[in-house]
Amino acid sequence: MLEYDSAKRPPPAIDEFFQLIRYRDLIFLMVENILKNRYKRSVLGVFWMLLNPLLQTIVLSVAFGTMFKSSVPSYAVYLLTGLLAWNFITQTTQYAMSSMAYGGGLLKRVYIPRATYIVAAVGNGLINLIVSIGALFIIAIFLNHSITTAWLFLPIGIMILTVFSLGLALLLSTASVFFTDTVDIYQVMVQALFFLTPIMYPPSIFPPELSQLLVLNPFVILIEIFRAPIHANCLPDFGLAVKAASLALITLVAGWILFTRKADQLAYRL
Amino acid sequence: MMENTAIQLNDVTVRFRIPHEKIPTLQEYAIRWLKGRGVSFTDFNALNNVSFSIRQGETVGIIGANGAGKSTLLKVISRVIRPTHGRVFLRGRIAPLLELGAGFDYEMTGRENIFLNGAVLGFNRKDIASRLDRIVEFSGIDDFIDAPIRTYSSGMVARLGFAIATDIRPDILIIDEILAVGDADFQKKSAARILRYHNDGSTVLLVSHNLDSIENLCDRVIWLEHGAIKMVGWVDDIVKQYSL
Repeated sequence: MLEYDSAKRPPPAIDEFFQLIRYRDLIFLMVENILKNRYKRSVLGVFWMLLNPLLQTIVLSVAFGTMFKSSVPSYAVYLLTGLLAWNFITQTTQYAMSSMAYGGGLLKRVYIPRATYIVAAVGNGLINLIVSIGALFIIAIFLNHSITTAWLFLPIGIMILTVFSLGLALLLSTASVFFTDTVDIYQVMVQALFFLTPIMYPPSIFPPELSQLLVLNPFVILIEIFRAPIHANCLPDFGLAVKAASLALITLVAGWILFTRKADQLAYRL
Repeated sequence: MMENTAIQLNDVTVRFRIPHEKIPTLQEYAIRWLKGRGVSFTDFNALNNVSFSIRQGETVGIIGANGAGKSTLLKVISRVIRPTHGRVFLRGRIAPLLELGAGFDYEMTGRENIFLNGAVLGFNRKDIASRLDRIVEFSGIDDFIDAPIRTYSSGMVARLGFAIATDIRPDILIIDEILAVGDADFQKKSAARILRYHNDGSTVLLVSHNLDSIENLCDRVIWLEHGAIKMVGWVDDIVKQYSL
C-alpha cells in the first residue's frame, strides 16, 4: 500500500525528480493545453507559430538588412537563428515565472510536484522552437542558403539551450516567489541584453577591446552554437560547445538544487 | 506504528512567518539591507505539537472555532504543506475532497478536464481513459461533456469534480463540511458513494461546524483550539464538552 512519511524523505532534489516522473502525464497535458488555448480561437491556428518568426524576420531584415548586408551573408538566416535562440531562452523563462506566480495557486490547494509548471513552460517553449525551425528552413530555402550536414548538430544545440533555459527558469521562478519584482527586473535586463548580444548585428561591429567583454555574456556562446551550424554551415568550435554545455549544466544543477530546497516554502509564499 | 494505522501525526508543528511589514520586492529588501535594518517578523504556529493516530476504517471528526487550525491540519495531511517540525505518516491513497476540480481549465471541455484533473490527482492518462465513461455517467453531464466547462453551472462543475475525485475508492477520504455538491439527487448519490466506501474500509476525516452531523457520522472527534489539540476522544464526550 502507498505510504507517505514526511520524516522519511529522500533529499528534495532526488524526490522532486521522481515525483515529476510520476506526474509526467500532467506535464504533457499542461503543454498540450497551453498550445490548444493559445491557438484555439484564431483561424490560422498553429500556423501562427510558423508565421510569427517569418514575419518578424521579414520586418527586421527589411529594417536592418541593408546595414549589415556586406558584413553578414544571408542576413535573414543570421537574424532568425539568433532570434529563435534568444526568444526561446527569454520567453520560456518569463513564461515559467509568470505561470508560477499566477497559476501557482494550485500548489496551495493540492499536491503536485512543485516544478510541474516550470517544466511545462519549457516544454511549451521547446515545441515553439521546433516549429519555428520549420520557418527557418523555409527562409533558408527561399534565400538559396545552402543546407548542409552541419544542421545535424541542431539537436545538440537545442538540448543545450533547453537545459540552460530550464535551469534559468528554476532560478528565476524561485526568486520571483520571494520577490515579486524579479519579473520586472528580469524584463529590463532582457531588454538591455538584447542589444548587447549579437542577434541583429554581427559581433564584428564591436571594437576589438570591447569584443573581449562579449565573453562575459553567456547568451553569446549559447546563440553562437545554435547559429553556427545553420548560418555558417560548420560545426561550432569544439571548445565553445563544451563551454556552452558546461554553462547549461551548471545552471540546471544550481537551479534544481535551489528550487527543490525552497520548494516546501512555496505553498506558504505563493 | 500499528499495522492498521491510517494517519498518524507526531508533534506536528506548522509555522508561518509573518513579516511585520510586507517586503515583497527585491528592491525594498536591498534598501533595508543597505540601511542595516533586517526584516522583523513574528512566528505564528498554525499547528502546535499536534499528535494523534487514526486507524483504518475509522470516521473521525475535526471540530474547532475558525482559525483553530483545521484547514492547516487538512493541508498538512493532504501533503500540500510539509510540517515545520514533526512527522506526518499516511498509509494508502488519499482523496481530499476539499478542492474539487483543482486545476480545471474553464476554456477546455468537460472531457479534457477529466484528464487534466485526473492528472492533478496523480492518475495517468491511460487509467483515466479506461474509467472515462463511468466518471461521465456518475457526474450526469453526458450531453455537455464536450462543451467547455465555462458554459457549465457551478453545480455541474462540482459534480464533475466529485465524480473524478471519488471514482475509485480512496483509502483515506477528507471531507470539509457535509458535502453539498449539486442538487438533492446528486447529494444523495454522493453521500451513498461515500458511505459505501466507508463500509468497504476507507478512513474518513470529516471537518464540520455542524455538531449534529459529527454526532451522526463520527466515531471519534479531535477538538482543535489555537492550533493545538484541546481534546481527543469518543464523539459523545467531546461534543458534550464542546457545546458547554
